[in-house]
Amino acid sequence: MGDRTLNRGKDILWAVSIAGLAAGVLRFGLGLGAASGLNDASPWGLWIAFKLGFVALSGGGFTLAAMVYIFHLETYRPILRRAILLALLGYGSFIVSLLFDLGLPWHIYMPILNWQHHSVMFEIAWCVLLYFSVLIMEFGPVILEYPWFRGPFFQHIYHFLKWATVPLVILGIVLSTLHQSSLGALFLIMPHRVHTLWYSAWIPVMFFVSAIGAGMLALIVEGFIAQRLFGRGLKLDLLQRLGKIASFVLLLYLGLRLGDLTVRGVLPVSIDGSWQSMLFLGEVLLGGILPVILLLIPQVRAKPAGLLSAALLGAAGIVSQRMSLSLFTMWRPETAPYTPSGLEILIAFAIPAAAGLIYLLFTENLAVLEQELPVRQPDPYARPVFEPDSLVYQDTHWNGQLARRAGIGVLALALLAAVLPAQVVTGEAMPPVPVRAAQGWEMLLIDGDADGQAVQFPHAAHQARLSAEVGEAAACQTCHHLDRPVDVNSGCWECHGDYYQPSSIFDHTQHTALLGGNAACGECHAGEHRAATAVACETCHAQMIAPSGEDNFSYWAINYQDALHENCQSCHEQQAELQGTPELGQCGACHLGQLENQNLVLRGWGTP
Amino acid sequence: MIGILVDVTRCTGCNECVEACAQAHQFGEARHQPQEVGDGLSAVRWSAIVSSPEGQPVRKFCRHCVEPACVSVCPVGAMLKTEAGPVVYDPNKCMGCRYCMMACPYGIPRYEWDSAVPLVQKCNLCAERLDQGLLPVCVETCPEQALIFGERDELLALAHQRIAEAPGRYLDQVVGESEAGGSSVLYLSNVPLDFLNFSRAPGDAPFPDLSWNWLGKVPGISLATAGLMTGLFWIIGRRMQVEEARLAHPGGKEA
Repeated sequence: MGDRTLNRGKDILWAVSIAGLAAGVLRFGLGLGAASGLNDASPWGLWIAFKLGFVALSGGGFTLAAMVYIFHLETYRPILRRAILLALLGYGSFIVSLLFDLGLPWHIYMPILNWQHHSVMFEIAWCVLLYFSVLIMEFGPVILEYPWFRGPFFQHIYHFLKWATVPLVILGIVLSTLHQSSLGALFLIMPHRVHTLWYSAWIPVMFFVSAIGAGMLALIVEGFIAQRLFGRGLKLDLLQRLGKIASFVLLLYLGLRLGDLTVRGVLPVSIDGSWQSMLFLGEVLLGGILPVILLLIPQVRAKPAGLLSAALLGAAGIVSQRMSLSLFTMWRPETAPYTPSGLEILIAFAIPAAAGLIYLLFTENLAVLEQELPVRQPDPYARPVFEPDSLVYQDTHWNGQLARRAGIGVLALALLAAVLPAQVVTGEAMPPVPVRAAQGWEMLLIDGDADGQAVQFPHAAHQARLSAEVGEAAACQTCHHLDRPVDVNSGCWECHGDYYQPSSIFDHTQHTALLGGNAACGECHAGEHRAATAVACETCHAQMIAPSGEDNFSYWAINYQDALHENCQSCHEQQAELQGTPELGQCGACHLGQLENQNLVLRGWGTP
Repeated sequence: MIGILVDVTRCTGCNECVEACAQAHQFGEARHQPQEVGDGLSAVRWSAIVSSPEGQPVRKFCRHCVEPACVSVCPVGAMLKTEAGPVVYDPNKCMGCRYCMMACPYGIPRYEWDSAVPLVQKCNLCAERLDQGLLPVCVETCPEQALIFGERDELLALAHQRIAEAPGRYLDQVVGESEAGGSSVLYLSNVPLDFLNFSRAPGDAPFPDLSWNWLGKVPGISLATAGLMTGLFWIIGRRMQVEEARLAHPGGKEA
């Protein structure tokens, strides 16, 4: 425990943060579309869901402030500062996530200039802006206790903030009440998107109540994490009492949800066996009823493991409701299904990771966990300084941690660069790669992308072998479509014209010209002139092999690489099995690597 | 308030309106981005011809609702329902939150996903042409007179007149008369147009009401919370003082 866990934890947070920072640069460089999986059917995604979670888990800030200052429950003062810190970091994460999520983040000040009282998001923007400022002022005295701020200027601010505490707390409670509920109200205007098990006129109230619960449960979890990292600071008796209060809040939240479903008469939907109903049941049973029961049993609450698992379950249940509402149940497989991109996931996790580092910075240096300033731990990675005059090692370098973290950062960046697809790094759509036709006759040199890595294809040998097996005429058709007008030997490249991308193969202009211009529309189109009214190709081109598929004909030929692989592989794999020669089915059977002198190979025509 | 009446039965799906719109707004070729939904609408196509389940071509474009969800949710006023009727977009205010895209019951607004400075794109009913006294380019182009431009009231009257004159030709319903509070764009159709909705029929109540049901309570809630908290702070504090004084001086008068 203690130092080792703490340093491993920091390493991980640091690596994720640095990789996330790079991902953030990519997101702004490439734009929202290239960096995320968002689309026109799902313009909101993972980042919104995470933001709702951050704010829920920050609910402890205003809850504890109300308990200590308004209800004068001085017992809870020892954990007030961490509650404020968690809220500060939660809202900080919210705002940073928002900057990534907005398409034009440099317009983020616009709600201040253009008042729109009919917009829920306008209200949230103002509340979050103000509440974040309130949180900074509430946490300000803790920072100003640090020895750096002993000067009279800072002391004036310190005393002002202390003096203003109660008004600030009341303002904070009002702002929290408003935006915690309004975050839920964002979804009131989306009955067409939110699943009926989550959509309710009471979402705002549910969000408010669940934020109180989630805030308390997050504080319990934070208490155990701090204990594990620092070996101190666990106020178990306080957290147990907090857990008991949280169980009543959870109960109220569950009552609201189930009561609302009953009143709306959609309770049966929760057991209809769909994946949404499973998700709902999981949320309510595992993330709601189970933690309530656990927290209500004094024996369970008294055990650290019991308290912690109940708190984790309850917090997960509340976060899950928000993620289901804003993400999972909005998934639309029938149009453009949304899957978060790697960069999106990385950024979503990097923001709380960076917040975690700030948490550690503050708890290690400020009087957050205890009433007094913590004693600074010596740097475990500090290297001794050699003192040349005395020929002994004295003192330590200040940069031990820094060097280690820099190394981890570089590794994280290297890992990110390695896993990112090239297109994400360069941000370019794949350029067209026109296919180079195969060269030769009896021995073909196939090098579609002209990279010198050609395949030698013994065409004559294949032709002879197949002719012996199935006859002269059928032999060609084994590989060639022979489906173009007067087609006897068209090459693959003629239709599969791009190495990596599909090519359009229907030439409307040519058809119009051959059939006699605009007067001939009726030859192919029944009635109006559009794709859907056109006759199928095989109506006229009976000799063509109609491609299989539901729409009878598609205007697209698959890319050259896939076309050739499919053509050769199917037969090769079959023959490999029949002849008991596995090497025939392997890549190396055709791909012989770099060919030193292609002319030499071409000169050897006819060799099988 | 002006609008467009779409007589679906006259539409042949020739795509002329879509092309004319793209040309008038200088969109260029369709881009086929992976983010597009597949109905033909995109950041560079403000309208599209979609096929009803029965195979009837129907023009899909912004409804220019009388009380638009997109306008009501916009936190910066980038979406605006003009007096004349069009719902227009101001890129200089937009911060890119995409709430309008989420709120639209018809799923109309689209995003410039391929841009590093992305804007929302949707039909503006050719507001710039209306200012010059011109017709919307789609109305001007339609070879079948399937699109009719005019005052919304007159279009509604015309629609009902057409239904009355040819009851067998149309379903007895003008889509857009009352859906989600009504819209400037109206449809006369021989097939149900439910497939144009994002996922389900929006109902007749204006969408902004859904938010306003909550937002209207916000001032009251803030005042009540502030009052309650101040009162509780004072009363509990005062009673604790009294209690402490009583404990310090048992039998004496309160401090």
